[in-house]
Amino acid sequence: MTTPNFAPPAAPTSPPKPMAVFRAVYGLLLRSVATRGRIAGIGALGAIAVLTAVAKHSGNPYHSLDTGTSFASFLLISIVPVAVLVFGAAMLGDLIDDGSLVYLWLRPVPTWIHVVAAWAATVSITAPVVLIPVMLSTAILDTSSELMIGTLVGGLVAVAAYSGLFVVGGIRFRRALPWGLAYIMIWEGFIATAGKSAAKLAVRSYVSSVLARETGIHIKLANFTLASAIIVPLVATAVLLVYGSRRLAKSDVA
Amino acid sequence: MTTTGPVLPPEPMVAVDGVSKWFGDVVAVSDVTFSIGPGVTALLGPNGAGKSTLLRMLCGLTPPARGEVRILGVDPRTNLAVRSRIGIVPQQEAMFEALDAFGFVRLAGILHGVADPDAAARGALGLVELDPDEPRKVTTYSKGMKQRVKVAQALVNDPEVLFLDEPLTGLDPRQRNHLIDLFARLGAQGRCVLVSSHVLDEVERFGSRVLVVAQGRLAATGDFRAIRDLMDDHPHRIRVRTDRPRALAVELVAKPGVTAVELEPPSGTRAGGVVVETTDAGAFRRSVARSACTVHAALWEVTPLDDDLDSVFRYLVQQ
Repeated sequence: MTTPNFAPPAAPTSPPKPMAVFRAVYGLLLRSVATRGRIAGIGALGAIAVLTAVAKHSGNPYHSLDTGTSFASFLLISIVPVAVLVFGAAMLGDLIDDGSLVYLWLRPVPTWIHVVAAWAATVSITAPVVLIPVMLSTAILDTSSELMIGTLVGGLVAVAAYSGLFVVGGIRFRRALPWGLAYIMIWEGFIATAGKSAAKLAVRSYVSSVLARETGIHIKLANFTLASAIIVPLVATAVLLVYGSRRLAKSDVA
Repeated sequence: MTTTGPVLPPEPMVAVDGVSKWFGDVVAVSDVTFSIGPGVTALLGPNGAGKSTLLRMLCGLTPPARGEVRILGVDPRTNLAVRSRIGIVPQQEAMFEALDAFGFVRLAGILHGVADPDAAARGALGLVELDPDEPRKVTTYSKGMKQRVKVAQALVNDPEVLFLDEPLTGLDPRQRNHLIDLFARLGAQGRCVLVSSHVLDEVERFGSRVLVVAQGRLAATGDFRAIRDLMDDHPHRIRVRTDRPRALAVELVAKPGVTAVELEPPSGTRAGGVVVETTDAGAFRRSVARSACTVHAALWEVTPLDDDLDSVFRYLVQQ
C-alpha cells in the first residue's frame, strides 16, 4: 500500500540536555521509590540496631574499640545491604515489572543516564536512612575517631557498591528482591566467608577491610589495603553500571 | 502545532519488511510487510492478533526476530535520535505514581529535549482537554483521564509519527469524538498516525485505510471497501426491496454471477424483499433495474449488506 509522500511537520526539539534529563529521571526515581512504607521499614531496622547497641552498652558500659568495631562490621554487612536492596532493586525493577519503563525508554536518551540516575537515587535515599542509625549505634559503643571514620567510609563504600549491584539486579532479574536476599544471605553470608578467593568477590570483605585498616582491629577475611578496599568496589560498581546500561538498552520493554 | 511546506522524503514514514516475532513456541507476528505514510491508518484485529506486538516492534521496544522495521528511514531500536520524532500511547495502564498530569507530560517533554517543556506540557494537556493545574496524582484518575494523559505525553514532542494502542479505551462518547477528530487533524497535518483497535465502529471513524491483522499475519491492507471488492470467495450480499419479490427473485436467479437468492418476508410496515448473493456486485447493480422492468416490479431499495468493515473483518479473520 503506498500513500502520497509529503513532509510531516518538523519536530521542534533539540537533543535533550544530559544534565536536565539526569535531574528529571533522578527526581522521578527518588520520589517513586522513597515511599513511606519503605522508609519506615528501613527506619525500623535502624531503630533495632540502635536498641541493640543500647542493650550491648548496658551489659558492658566500658567503651571498647573491639566491641565497637565488631558491631559496626556486623551492621555494615547486614542492615546496609538489606536497606540498599529494598530501594535499589525497585528503582528500575519496578518500572520494568509494571511496564511504565516505556515512558523513559522510548526517548532519545541513552540508557546509561537512567542507570546512573537510578544508582545516584539509591545512594541518596539509602545513605541517610541507614548510615545515620549505624553511626549512632556505633557511637553508643565507642566514640573513638578511628571507629567513626572507618564506619562512615566503610558505610559509604558499602552503600555505593551495593547500590550498583542491586540497581543492576533490578534490571537483570524479575523479582530482584528474593534474588538479592539470596545473594546477601547465601553468597555473602556463607560462601564468601569460606576462603580468601571467594572473599574477593564479596562486597563485605572490602567494607570490613576499610573498618579493619582504620581501627587496626582484626576482622576475618578483611585483608585488603585501605586503597584497594575503597577503589576496587567503586571500579566494580562502575563496570556493573556499564553492564546494566547495555542490558537495559537491549531489553524487551513492556 | 506548526506545519512546514512539503518536502519529499526518500521513503515511507513507516516501512515493515518480512517482520516476524515469536516468544518461545508462540508466533506472535508472522512475516508482515507493509509501508504507510502521512494520514491515519487503522491497525485492526481481534484480541491476541499481534497488534500490540507489531506496535512495540515499530517503536523499537522489542526487536523483530526476523525482518526489518524502518521509521523515517532508520531502525528505531538502535537510532536514539528518531525517538524524538515518535510518539506512542502504549497499552499498559501503569504510570508514574508520584506525578500529576502536568509533571508526567512535562517529564516526557524534558526527556525529548523540548525547548520549553512547561509550555509544551500545557499545550498537550489542553489538546486532550485536561487541566494542567490539577494537583491529583495520575494514579487517582479515572481510566479515561489516564488515557488522555497518555495521549498528551505522546504529543508533547510534536511527533511526526504516532503509534496509538487502543487509545480510546475508557473514554466517554464525547471524549472519543474529540480524540478521533484530533487524530484526524494530526493525520491531515502530514503526520503518520497508526491507531490500533479491535472496535470496528471506532476504526470506521478513523477513515477507510486499514491494516487487518489476524493470528499474527497481515490479512489485508488498504481501503476496506476496496478490500471487500477483491474478496471473490465471499459473494456480496445485496438486499432489494420490491413490490413483487417472488417474480423478481425468479428473474434474478438466472443472472450471471448470482449464486443464491432468498426471499425476505414483509415485516411490519416494511415491504418484503429479495436478498441476492452475487460474485460481481458491480454488474448486479447495473442490471437490477432492467430485471425489475422485465417483471414489472417497482424497485424501492438496493442495499449492500456486507460492504462494511465488520463484514470485511469477519471474512478476513475467518480465513
